Amino acid sequence: MVTDQAAVAKLTGQQQMVYVGKSVGRFDSLDKVLGKPIYTMDTVPENALYLKVVRSKVAHALLKHVDLSQARKYPDVVAVVTAQDIPGINESAALLPDKPLFATTKVRFAGEPIAAVASYDPCVAEEAVDLVKIEYEPLPSVFSPVEALKPDSVKVHENGNIAKHMKVRKGNVEEGFRQADLIVEGTYKTPFQEPVPLEPEAGFVIPEPDGSVTCVGSMQSPFHVQTGIAKILSLRPEQVRVIQAATGGAFGPKSDEIPVDVLGMAALVAIKTRKPAALAYTRGESMIGHTKRHPFMITLKTGVKKSGKLTAWEAKLVADTGAYASLGPLVVIRACFHATGPYVIPNVKTDSYCVYTNNTMAGSFRGFGGPQAHFAAESQMDEIAKKLSMDPVDIRVLNMLRPGSLMATSQVVDEGCGLEECLSKAVKESDWYGKREKFSKMTGPKRRGLGIAILYHGNSLGPEGSDFATVHMQIDRDGTVRLRTALTEYGTGAPSALLQIAAETMHLPIEYFRLDPPDTDFCEDTGPTVASRTITIGGRGTQMVAGTLHEKLREIAAEMLQTTGTEIESIQGTYYKKSHPENSVSFKDVVDQAYAKGIGLKEVGRFTAPKCEYDPETSQGTTYLQFTYGAVTAEVEVDTETGRVQVLKMVTAYDVGKAINPISLEGQIEGGTIQGLGYAIMEEMIHNDGVVVNPNLGDYYIPTSLDIPEIKTIIVEYPGRLGPYGAKAIGEPPIVLPAPAIVNAIDNAIGVRINEIPATPDRVLIAYKRMQAGKVK
Amino acid sequence: MEIGYLSKHLLKFNVNGKDYALVVQSHERLLDVLRDKLGLKGAKEGCSTGDCGICGVLMDGKLVNSCLILAIQARNKKIVTIEGIGTPEKLHPIQRAFMKWNASQCGYCVPAMILATKSLLDRNPNPNDDDIRWAISGILCRCTGYLKIFEAVKTAVAEIKEAQ
Amino acid sequence: MKKFDMYVPDNQTDLLDYLDKHQTSTQLIANGSDLINRIQRRQVQPKTLVDLTGLAELSYVKKENGTFTVGAMTTISELFRSSLFDSKYEAFREVARKFGGPSIVNVATVGGNVCSASSSEDLLPLLLVLDAQVRLRSIKGDRVMRVEDFVKGKRNIDLSPNEIMVEIMFREIDQDVKCAFEKVGMRNSLIIAFVNCAVYLKLARKTKQVEDIRIAFNRVKGKIPARAKRTEEKMRGQRLDEKYLTVAMDTLRSELELSSDFRVSQEYRLEVACNLFKRALNRCAEELVGDRVLV
Repeated sequence: MVTDQAAVAKLTGQQQMVYVGKSVGRFDSLDKVLGKPIYTMDTVPENALYLKVVRSKVAHALLKHVDLSQARKYPDVVAVVTAQDIPGINESAALLPDKPLFATTKVRFAGEPIAAVASYDPCVAEEAVDLVKIEYEPLPSVFSPVEALKPDSVKVHENGNIAKHMKVRKGNVEEGFRQADLIVEGTYKTPFQEPVPLEPEAGFVIPEPDGSVTCVGSMQSPFHVQTGIAKILSLRPEQVRVIQAATGGAFGPKSDEIPVDVLGMAALVAIKTRKPAALAYTRGESMIGHTKRHPFMITLKTGVKKSGKLTAWEAKLVADTGAYASLGPLVVIRACFHATGPYVIPNVKTDSYCVYTNNTMAGSFRGFGGPQAHFAAESQMDEIAKKLSMDPVDIRVLNMLRPGSLMATSQVVDEGCGLEECLSKAVKESDWYGKREKFSKMTGPKRRGLGIAILYHGNSLGPEGSDFATVHMQIDRDGTVRLRTALTEYGTGAPSALLQIAAETMHLPIEYFRLDPPDTDFCEDTGPTVASRTITIGGRGTQMVAGTLHEKLREIAAEMLQTTGTEIESIQGTYYKKSHPENSVSFKDVVDQAYAKGIGLKEVGRFTAPKCEYDPETSQGTTYLQFTYGAVTAEVEVDTETGRVQVLKMVTAYDVGKAINPISLEGQIEGGTIQGLGYAIMEEMIHNDGVVVNPNLGDYYIPTSLDIPEIKTIIVEYPGRLGPYGAKAIGEPPIVLPAPAIVNAIDNAIGVRINEIPATPDRVLIAYKRMQAGKVK
Repeated sequence: MEIGYLSKHLLKFNVNGKDYALVVQSHERLLDVLRDKLGLKGAKEGCSTGDCGICGVLMDGKLVNSCLILAIQARNKKIVTIEGIGTPEKLHPIQRAFMKWNASQCGYCVPAMILATKSLLDRNPNPNDDDIRWAISGILCRCTGYLKIFEAVKTAVAEIKEAQ
Repeated sequence: MKKFDMYVPDNQTDLLDYLDKHQTSTQLIANGSDLINRIQRRQVQPKTLVDLTGLAELSYVKKENGTFTVGAMTTISELFRSSLFDSKYEAFREVARKFGGPSIVNVATVGGNVCSASSSEDLLPLLLVLDAQVRLRSIKGDRVMRVEDFVKGKRNIDLSPNEIMVEIMFREIDQDVKCAFEKVGMRNSLIIAFVNCAVYLKLARKTKQVEDIRIAFNRVKGKIPARAKRTEEKMRGQRLDEKYLTVAMDTLRSELELSSDFRVSQEYRLEVACNLFKRALNRCAEELVGDRVLV
């Protein structure tokens, strides 16, 4: 039976909690401020070989001839590996089996791996890579997803260019448009956003004497890596041990096939040479070789009544997944479900396509389709408001989701919906009416504007896969309580929160708890660390297992105190008799007793979320078990002489269900908001005929400390049904709304609608110029 | 490319208070020598082009990108890395402040941020908000959005001032 | 990084001697911020570097007889902090502040900057409007030339293989002169400018006549920093008001030959160059005559 956490939250809301809801420090903070060598490349064995990868320089071509002879002969080169060296299957793919580890006859994107060179000296390997001679026979290519959709387009894969087509069908849009007083259309474009984890991908493989391998790397999903490496090496999964090292940021690219690429190539060298082999991507290689956010082209046609009430919403979303799909199909599913924004619309028709091109790969990246969908929807809502001379807040208040209303998928919004409160608090805190009034009177080259956007975000994997978490807990003889999952820490702080939940459940001081490193030899599959699952699903698993272990300890205490379990209360490591509190035993006593009597203090449990059921043709049904809601305002200053947009202040209001760790939560919100700000005004990976033109951090811009606004975070708690204590996902939502809020603010400031992000100084200035010229005419 | 003789150089410098004399090659960077020859892994390689700042170390008290400095160019200099700041038993106030504010998320930029802060405070114990922002402007952080780092620095400033 | 060799000279004499003897395939390296970056980006692949960092004697800011001399190894940070620059030299501080964060300004050298000769160098436009000169030195002796002539093209300087740059020189700024520097890039720090602009304005207080004006951008024709001389000509001797500014702007528009690249469009560059020029000009005028001269 799956307990409704919202109901639980109502109960526990009354109780005073010791750890949950408190800003407890993280388990790894000390090591990090001391600069301890905990990351992958800090722990590479002494005698390791270093790899450098030979990559395609051309987007789409047949590989006529790959001449590795000079590289093989180069002094101090120890090994060169290609697809020929793969004992198992030449595949390193995430969802669809479309991507090889090493290209053989054909390359499909500029940067695709073809071979790797290994030496004890990485400089030597780099020099040898330059000696590889490749003869390409260029093939016609396609770089535009809209082009790639056409039936006569160049085919990137034999089965055609559409990797996924997802639909939402609700009601009848034609009827909806007939009922409308006004129809508004808009086209929106978003770029390849590069995740820029500060630690580029890295991994090393140690060949073990018994034929197995140990893989250490920077990753989000150890078991996914295990499966992938086993397939490549033709080993059983049990023969592939995968350990996640401390990971310097991830955000998506390290969750799917990319760590398999890295460790796969290293593993081939390791088994060939019987030496440890390490591969650290350079920044440029990381930016070209790993997955980025899908660029989307979204066309919307919306029908609305004079009153502002939406009657129909038709959306076409086309996503460029690059040469290989990665998790693209799932990204377009999420985008498809969220394409209308958080509004009540009786008639919806959405078509969402995941399309192959010869650009570099797109895949998982924080937000996973949500940012793109909301950029379009929330820009469109402002356009509709403008045409009806309505305030952008009013049109949202009129149409937004409330408990009892139906989503585009006809899922009923439950009680756990704090969207209205988020919106009203954001409006108040940002001084919406006062400031917009003031700004409308501004003159001079610098103008200010205030914009708003709201979201909903389906939690956890929903339709993206089976959602489960297996948690191990054990108590050592010395009283250390160890928690072990394959959920990874890479900056979110979420694994630390699991300790809070465990300590809370077991009524023990949190100092007793330790988190073991994710190691496939000692954990079981907990699914990938993505989609904010750690707290929602991992947290439920933790509650379950900690609860079982707690019961066990109580029973032992009861026996020691010669009573029954129901008579025992516990608090901070002391178990006492309810009727006679002076009769007590300590946690240490109980543990000693357990060990003395041979009572095992180990528990393993798996929490599985209920499956989401919906019609695959129309997407009507239950798509997610709970939703996060939010509202964000952005106050900007636009310099009409340079096109520069300064974001001065943002208010970020989120319904998080339950804040397990407030300071960590703020950190996630602030960090995600700034990534969203980058997406809005400065981040764009530019391809020229499939070749990335700016694969370095000097030409690809992410926000610096001088670019950040003041951020006021407002937390609202409407417990959800799924997460522990009603907690909701907060890892991804913060990156979704800055773009539409900022673009709406720019419109408010200078009367220009930017339909394509990033709203770079060039785009803003030229659009402003055109608009001014239009006015003069 | 012909393999000619490549010079080796004798590098004498001081790192975290200790003198070293090492043989280095021309192309070895300060970052490589610190990490690979001295085992000081705190300085990280994030971009190789001096655009991210996480290789930051102090050279004669000033923050520099160790990925852009050839090792032999650090001769006779005093280098301080994160390993020279605080110990588990006695953390530097800056480190304590970072922990207090959860300013360390993935942690990759943290050594450089702490050194940047130290360099700032050694020079100017009373920085204003703009001084702080500029002092860390050369270091990219992708996780925190800089806000908690900023708070941590302000707390460190207050704590250091109080101790004096 | 691919390997290369390096010669570390004992002193300046040793350096000049070595350069004279090895005139091909050597590349000078100052603190390396630009060069190492370019090597990593595979834009250059030198065989042998010659290290300049031992030349501590080339790190200075001096003023003598109305002329400033700045040693080639002076860092941007040292330039920024020099007490010899009073409020008249605010433009230097503006350059340094927008140059980058501490780790950049602590290391980048004046010489490295000037010799990099590309549109991403911020110091050059300011040096051009100050009519700065460079002193070059070889084993055969010194020669002095104008920065303007020294920078021949993108990454193309008039430096012989046996020469090093020793210092830059410029005359101090008069009382009735003001300089300003403007820069625009994608964000507020660590940027290669889309457009930057330096202006040197000498204005007669009563008549508001332009006695001298010098304008430089990071790109005028093609991709190197240069002076917009036709526009300067047009403005010299004229009264600084709306009418003549319009004429000047038209001249500027026709004088600038800019291009598009993946970073920004030609249209943007042109528009913003004109706007930054107006801004810099206005700031100078405001300082000199107390109010904004132009609408």
